Amino acid sequence: MPRRPAATTAATATALLVSLTACGGGGEQGEGKSGEPVRGGTFTYAAAVGTSCLDPHTSPGDITAVVQRNVFDSLVQLDGDGKLHPWLATSWTVSKDARTYTFELRDDVTFHDGTPFDAAAVKANLEHIKAPATKSLYASALLGPYSGSKVLGKHRIEIAFSEPNIPFLQAASTPYLGIASPTSLTKFKDQLCAGGKYSVGTGPFRSVRYVKNDRAEFARNDDYAWSPAGAKHQGPPLLDKLVVRFLPEDSVRSGALTSGQVDAAALPVTSAKAVQRDSSLRLNRRQAPGASYSLYLNTDRGPLRDERVRRAFQQSVDVGALIKSIYRGEYERAWSPLGPTTPAAYDGAIEGAISHDPAAAAKLLDEAGWSKKDAQGYRVKDGERLSLHWPFIGALVRDQRDVLGEAVQAELKKNGIDLVRDPVETGAYFERYGKGDYDVWDNAWVRADPAILAGFYLSTNLPSAGGQNVSRTRDKQVDAWLRAGAAESRPAEREKSYAKVERWAVDHATVLPLYVPVTTVGVSRKADGLTFDANAWPQFAGVWKTTR
Amino acid sequence: MNRRLPPAARWLLHRAVGAVLVLWGAASLAFLVLHLVPGDPVTTLLGASATDSAALRQEILREYRLDDPLAVQYAAFLGRLATGDLGSSYQQQQPVSLIIGEQLGDTAQLSLSALVLLVAGALVTAAATAGRRRRVRGAVSGAELVAVSTPAFWLGIVLLTVFSFRLNLFPVAGAGDWRSLVLPVVTLAVPFGSLLAQVLREGMEAALHQPFALTARSRGLSGTALRLRHALRHAAVPAVTLSGWLAGGLLGGTVMVETVFARPGLGRVALDAISNRDIPVVVGLVLLSAAVYLVVNAFADLLCLWADPRLRSPA
Amino acid sequence: MTSPPTEAAIARPSFVPLRERLATFRPGLLLSVAVLVVAALACVAPGLLAPASPTDADPVAALLPPGGEHWFGTDQLGRDVYARVVHGARHSLLLGVGATALGVLVGLLIGLPSALLGRFADQVAMRSMDVMLALPELLLALLVIAVVGPSSVNAALAIAVSSVPGYARLVRGQAQVVRRAEYIRSAIGLGLRRRTVVLRHVVPNTLGPLVVPATLGVGTAIIAGSALSFLGLGPKAPTPEWGAMLAQGRDALQSAWWIAVFPGAAITLSVVAVTVVGRQLHIGLEGRPGR
Repeated sequence: MPRRPAATTAATATALLVSLTACGGGGEQGEGKSGEPVRGGTFTYAAAVGTSCLDPHTSPGDITAVVQRNVFDSLVQLDGDGKLHPWLATSWTVSKDARTYTFELRDDVTFHDGTPFDAAAVKANLEHIKAPATKSLYASALLGPYSGSKVLGKHRIEIAFSEPNIPFLQAASTPYLGIASPTSLTKFKDQLCAGGKYSVGTGPFRSVRYVKNDRAEFARNDDYAWSPAGAKHQGPPLLDKLVVRFLPEDSVRSGALTSGQVDAAALPVTSAKAVQRDSSLRLNRRQAPGASYSLYLNTDRGPLRDERVRRAFQQSVDVGALIKSIYRGEYERAWSPLGPTTPAAYDGAIEGAISHDPAAAAKLLDEAGWSKKDAQGYRVKDGERLSLHWPFIGALVRDQRDVLGEAVQAELKKNGIDLVRDPVETGAYFERYGKGDYDVWDNAWVRADPAILAGFYLSTNLPSAGGQNVSRTRDKQVDAWLRAGAAESRPAEREKSYAKVERWAVDHATVLPLYVPVTTVGVSRKADGLTFDANAWPQFAGVWKTTR
Repeated sequence: MNRRLPPAARWLLHRAVGAVLVLWGAASLAFLVLHLVPGDPVTTLLGASATDSAALRQEILREYRLDDPLAVQYAAFLGRLATGDLGSSYQQQQPVSLIIGEQLGDTAQLSLSALVLLVAGALVTAAATAGRRRRVRGAVSGAELVAVSTPAFWLGIVLLTVFSFRLNLFPVAGAGDWRSLVLPVVTLAVPFGSLLAQVLREGMEAALHQPFALTARSRGLSGTALRLRHALRHAAVPAVTLSGWLAGGLLGGTVMVETVFARPGLGRVALDAISNRDIPVVVGLVLLSAAVYLVVNAFADLLCLWADPRLRSPA
Repeated sequence: MTSPPTEAAIARPSFVPLRERLATFRPGLLLSVAVLVVAALACVAPGLLAPASPTDADPVAALLPPGGEHWFGTDQLGRDVYARVVHGARHSLLLGVGATALGVLVGLLIGLPSALLGRFADQVAMRSMDVMLALPELLLALLVIAVVGPSSVNAALAIAVSSVPGYARLVRGQAQVVRRAEYIRSAIGLGLRRRTVVLRHVVPNTLGPLVVPATLGVGTAIIAGSALSFLGLGPKAPTPEWGAMLAQGRDALQSAWWIAVFPGAAITLSVVAVTVVGRQLHIGLEGRPGR
């Protein structure tokens, strides 16, 4: 999932930091190993980043999705195992050409403001997402080639696309396409970003209050009787209140958890070990699906136009050793631009495709003409140093990525490559992003569908066009594979298409995958029931306290 | 001009004109600076979003009238300001006045509490140590020196680690009850308070060495009374002249303290707004802090006049 | 964070006898001078104090606590923290000195004309300074960074800009006093040319009293620089700048305190030393007659 513009790095990190999967007990922590469920109480969760807009139709932030999942339900549910279940829609059919979806909707659902949920509400939401005034930064892209919807009955709707859109059901399961009260969409049209009482959905919690940079507060929706079919806990939540606190300082967040001031926290990788040792806490982890944290090499500019130089870049860095020493076994090294937990996408055969071989890399560089070295030991050609620029926003660095960046820099230096990490301001950062004014760009993006690869490799998805094709790959064969993936409904066949793209991306050295982001959430033993969804985002609807 | 006005009115008029000029200058500075920097607001707003940005860009340009020539935008901006309209945030898509209003309370609470604490602390330490034995003075002023020489954010992190994470005496963060206010307030107050204490002490010591102090003592006035009644008043003038700087320092300090302690407030709003080119919000905050500065300075001048009658005669 | 020309404001006449002051400060002064000498050595020849490389990573030796081989331990990448602190002196101290020098210079260029060129120039200059003074220094510095982008040089520039109004006002005030002073009047009375008087008498006599606030300003600038680094607006990695090291080490404070504590101590120690020397200078200058 896309992160919000400025928070590019941050949001992904959140995603990482935010999910939880069972750890202490293994599997789901549904069953009260640590105590019987108690009805009532307040559960406080510390999140790593805030957001400037809480309207999931507008904001692309992971945190928006995590926070607003509590308020907005979706048509379908994608569970932690990647299986689809009915939610606001009881059933659906997909046309053969994957361009038309027909949903049967529940008829017993009411929004928090009393508005009944029906087909017209769904249509109003889809149109709100596509309306230019909404300024949607992500939802609109998830909705893809939407061409309109028809209300076929009070609780029956047909949604049409101009192109085959297999990824749509996954998209529909995300909070970005969550269904808001149509009344709120018109009545509060200028306040939707402000969250709080302006967020009106059908979810297990009502949105009560949002103070930017501080907290979002929610209260139980006592009428909730439409939990997604795949959820362990059905009906209204046991909690009275849910509070999400926004604590961007890593040390503050883990300190708040270890000192018992919050019930759960998105943890920085640095404190995972300490939390594990603490018997009053449990560590829940889950690898995030989607694009793993990788360095993309700009194939369009300077020395990296030469595939030999790109390959030398890949082979000069001992990724395995770096990830091991920096993340102390908490994170796994990535082999592909896609993480292994992405449904229908990962081909294990890609593991080992990149080897750490500085000698071979040096040979490639010599062949490419970078054989001389200057006084500092960097390679030169025609009087130019082999310098590669990697812009980043210092304030948004999370997850020890600054340390990792410096480590990669040191590895490349050994082979005479000068990796320059440019700290830049947000404005300059995105300007360079759009123009392709960089050699190396880092990225990660949570999405529980391989369609995310199209964002990164489809030739029409250059950053200037709103895509994430930061390696600026333009290859007809790659495009064809990606299009086939979006039109293929059989998972095994889909996987083959995307696996080819992954392999191509690695073999042509357009990317150096670094690690698979992991959502790490520490939870107090005084609470239980926290699970992760398919995006590795924490789910609060089934959480309970074990003491009042 | 205005020579016929009574002096007080002339003083007021002069100040008011100056204030308006400063506000206009500050707002224009922020507006122009942020319009001239690399990376236009729309690029920043769109960021790495995954939508067809061309259409969206047009929509945003149109809505915020960012496609007008800069001069036209500037004129419109001044026009709006004159009517008290601060505009709408690009990032948060809400009125600036609302955004500032919502977070003003937290920042005011933090900085005013810090102000009270630091003034009280400085008065007590200065009065207690001025002219005392070398060892006492040395120890206290050494501690003050270390406090002034430590970055506030670092002090905050250390306080948090010790008093919140380890001893669990205070909540770690946020804006809740008074306990959550203690560590941030101390962090903000300590460096400034130490400085103020030094200024006060120097002033008091100077006063204690003046002839009037000797006279007063010979009249049988106790040391404490002398300190409190005369020396302090004497020391007030240099201290009060610091207040404009102190106001700015406290406001700037909230940026760091709010970040470290994860408190909501205007400091963090400012940090976000500047880095995101959210020009309307930046301008709003710039105007607010300039206004605070002007008001504080006006008060400081009046206070000086009260504390030191000698300043009342025309220079 | 701001803790700026504050100290400049402190530098006001004091009536405490010189002897007493000297006595109070002597041990501290010696120590401070020693600290500054070591710091200066670290700036000029860091390799002499710390032969290890401040940037070479050694993942195998990551996060070692302080000990015989690594006096201050190692950081997340296995870099020697001691070497980084020593090599960082150059960046942090240069930032402080550079920012102050620039601030004073621009302050002179604004303050002198303001005092000497008549009412209009004075009004324009001082009103502009009022505008800048009205903004918290950190806010001003952040705006400057927004324009020029983050880097060590730009951090120094931002801090310099935010200190300009303070110095400009000081210069103006001082120059006005000097201009009215008896000896200047007599110099003019003697028929010396205006330019000569300004260059030979007004400028030097205005500069003299700036020495103390400027010295103290160096400390202030170092702290302000570390604040910018903390906010991610400082120098490029892997530059071993103290503020940046502090910022990078803060998340590991609970598990590897040495990464943040040593650079933090280096900042405090050097700022204290600069301040003590600055004050001593103040007392020394105060003591001299005829100013």
